[in-house]
Amino acid sequence: MISRVIGAIVITLFIAVFSLVIALGGLGYILPPENVRELARQYLLIAYNPFNKTFTVFSPEAVTSIVWDFRGLDTLFETVVFYLAIIGSVALARGIKPSKPEKDISQYGLSPIVKTVTRITVGMILAIAASIALHGHLTPGGGFQGGATAAVVPLLVLVIFSKYYLETRGVSKNAMLSIRSLGLIGIGLTAFIVLIVGLMSGTNAYVFQNQPKPDAPVGLPALFDGQVISGTLWFFNLFEMFAVAAGFTIVFLLLSIPERDVFKYLKEEGEEY
Amino acid sequence: MIDPITYFYTVLLLSMAVNLGISLYGIFYKPSLIKKIISLTIFSDTANTFAIIIGYIRWRAATQPPQPPVLTNLNPAEKDLSAFASTAVDPLPQALVLTAIVIGLAVTLFLVFLTLQAYRLYKTTDVREIAKLRG
Amino acid sequence: MESDILIIGIMGFLGLISVIATYLAVTEKNLVRAVLYSAIQSTIYAFLYFLLMAPDIVLVYVPVAVGLYPAIILFLIRKTEHEERD
Repeated sequence: MISRVIGAIVITLFIAVFSLVIALGGLGYILPPENVRELARQYLLIAYNPFNKTFTVFSPEAVTSIVWDFRGLDTLFETVVFYLAIIGSVALARGIKPSKPEKDISQYGLSPIVKTVTRITVGMILAIAASIALHGHLTPGGGFQGGATAAVVPLLVLVIFSKYYLETRGVSKNAMLSIRSLGLIGIGLTAFIVLIVGLMSGTNAYVFQNQPKPDAPVGLPALFDGQVISGTLWFFNLFEMFAVAAGFTIVFLLLSIPERDVFKYLKEEGEEY
Repeated sequence: MIDPITYFYTVLLLSMAVNLGISLYGIFYKPSLIKKIISLTIFSDTANTFAIIIGYIRWRAATQPPQPPVLTNLNPAEKDLSAFASTAVDPLPQALVLTAIVIGLAVTLFLVFLTLQAYRLYKTTDVREIAKLRG
Repeated sequence: MESDILIIGIMGFLGLISVIATYLAVTEKNLVRAVLYSAIQSTIYAFLYFLLMAPDIVLVYVPVAVGLYPAIILFLIRKTEHEERD
């Protein structure tokens, strides 16, 4: 009883102090503010600036240029954190053997009307996901957005058809793990490629470099045959889309293991109930 | 008398603060592990929304809204660039929130698998029952 | 009424509705309905991000918080318990 009273006081105090900080001018005296902050103004000016070739990224989308070029190391470690979560989940499901289906595969799942409509929409969802991911340096979008949209497809197929249908099509846990690893190797290679080119030609270069800088005159081209590809940004978006879609597919495959397989494994291990 | 724009903006900020309080109550006082996971996702989403609200700027005139931080002209002149830098919204909070959403997603996925394993071993998802087991 | 007062007024109104959705999600005993209220609250947040001129965040938030989170938690509910005890 006393803990509930203390809890109610703490939460009310939290809301009250928060509001006091805002009212006393913690966010500025004019709400909403008139101009953006100075740092944001500098980033907006040099995101796509053909007159200032020293600092620019050549990508008209300011958010993608911050995520993959100005603060690229943040995104690299965020990808590592996501990978650790997936490795932990795969380790929890280690040793469980999948069982064979009992009936014919086409008898699992929902009615034929739903299956036909799903066959039509799955292709459209994949096309939209590819467009969002590959245009990420010109319009709002990018690698993670495209990968999350493409991850809706295995979920739909898992619920409407069945898990055995996915496995006969070749979408198994090991295949998705290898696709995810290939995507991450691609991201690592793209981060190091300017350094390798610089070392081989004897000039100075940095890791995670995109465009040529004053003391490191090597870089990936920003225009390809007249189209804007912004150097390493396009390759980052492509590999990130494959890695994220495969990662989500692994999670759904692990969550759809039937419970009787798990109980058989736990009984063999000797856990008592 | 009162400026209506500042009034509505403050209503939005305070409702985010109240959301934070309600989801904190959900994390502390609800005994089911699944309810705790739902409240944790609401908490992290509200914190991300608060970061994006800070990046908004005031309208220049009643017919000139702020622009999203995307340049639409692929051959700009100097004055196009300075016009873009003075009417666009802050892009930095959006980039940081993108990273924060992915990390929150990774933590939630791992928590879901841990809850599943705890149910398979202890046959319950009630934290009071699990605390009584003690080893 | 001028457009800037209208748009920021809609933002304030959406904030108030999201408080109601959060309260319903936290205090509901049936877990499937709680996930549904949480998905409604995420949709309100996605509309709020659109009004705040953040298109990248809308494209992340709609598949992740309205599509993938409720699907994962519904899988979890189906394998464990449906109701929360007192």
